[in-house]
Amino acid sequence: MNAKHTFDEDLAAYIAGEADEKIRLRLEEHARGCARCRAELEAVRGVLSMTSAAREELRAAVESVDWEATAEGITEQVFRAGTARQTAARPAAAWGRFLGLGLKPVFAGLALGLVVGALAMYVALRRPPVGQAGRPVFQASPEFLAQVELALARRETLDYLEKSQILLQDFVRDGSDVGRPPFEKAVARDLLTRKNYLNPQLETARMTKAKAICDQIEFLFLELARLDDDLPPAELERLRRVVEDRQLLLKISLVKKELESEV
Amino acid sequence: MADERQPVAEPVAALVDRVRAGDRDAFLTIVQTYQQKVFMMAYAMLRNREDALDVVQETFFRLHQKIETYRPGSGFQAWLLQIARRLAIDYYRKHLKDDRAHASNLSLEDARVATESNPAAERAADLRQVLSREVGRLAERQQRVFVLRHYEELQFHEIAEALDISVGTAKSLHFKAVQNLKKWLTPYLGVTT
Repeated sequence: MNAKHTFDEDLAAYIAGEADEKIRLRLEEHARGCARCRAELEAVRGVLSMTSAAREELRAAVESVDWEATAEGITEQVFRAGTARQTAARPAAAWGRFLGLGLKPVFAGLALGLVVGALAMYVALRRPPVGQAGRPVFQASPEFLAQVELALARRETLDYLEKSQILLQDFVRDGSDVGRPPFEKAVARDLLTRKNYLNPQLETARMTKAKAICDQIEFLFLELARLDDDLPPAELERLRRVVEDRQLLLKISLVKKELESEV
Repeated sequence: MADERQPVAEPVAALVDRVRAGDRDAFLTIVQTYQQKVFMMAYAMLRNREDALDVVQETFFRLHQKIETYRPGSGFQAWLLQIARRLAIDYYRKHLKDDRAHASNLSLEDARVATESNPAAERAADLRQVLSREVGRLAERQQRVFVLRHYEELQFHEIAEALDISVGTAKSLHFKAVQNLKKWLTPYLGVTT
């Protein structure tokens, strides 16, 4: 077993919180003589230390809540809302009240007669659906409309992915160009707006994979759109690494191909 | 962490059946048992007490609406936390939208961008904010394991049980989560790699 392999295993145990004294000493010893592993160990410690600070904050937040009252309050509201829904969903009960609220049977009968008469008139006088030239109107079936919606959603998503891909390619490729803005923020903002319109379509069309990639892009654009023009190169580099590490461009291409085959 | 770790006295499947039949007490028991777990999940992503409490409330509303779709035998807590996570993400997006709308009133620090020139106190707060944002970026299962391990301080066998996965998978997901966070947070950690 080589030193790097042992270090990785020891680091995994350290991350899991299962490193005993012996493992810790071995990690330290190795890190002292290896700059790369030392940096890795320091970074892991940094994350765990940040997490620990966040845990303290979370603990204080948890302790500041009256959980007994919260549970009671939620339960009360949920059941109150449930009762309201049930009441609204019971037309029979409403009729019962209508007939029973002090209305004498004679008036109730008259009211019912009026309703029945109005309905009969409506049926008798209703004109058959005809077009301008007297031709019958053809109505699309719900299945057909659903198909059209799905096709539109796919096309919209494809277009969104296409534009996002071009923008991200420029962002990654132009990393070394001096004097150029690092990112077309205006385009990113446009795409963010488009994503807002796309969200319901992605939800209803159940395009899970496309939605996941679009969400990742959106997250990145949100960060990039906020960037200051004089951002430190390290921050830009970090964001470029996000694009590369997550293989966003590759994923976009794959999802695009899938969508193209379906359109 | 102050938390109800004890197993629910009545099996959750029985409680779910009672809730389906309209039993208020059974629902209250479920809320009492899981509300802190939902809060921690939401807080880890939103880092705001009131926002996290909103997510807790909305989660149990959804739970009540969707209780018919729960399949007995599958992990109840994992199912509930999945609802909570989605709601927290929605809440986060909505919050960001609001941020955008009011961007002109925000300073750069308030707009969540951490820079090297921040004073130390602001930097500490920023770092926690950055951590919460990056935890929100983790893949769903990695995020759940990370939150359960570090914020609820559960052991891996408890995490495995809660999420209906093996201990090995829980460890592996946790390892990946820390590695990802390490990668994303390196610029903020002051470590040269």
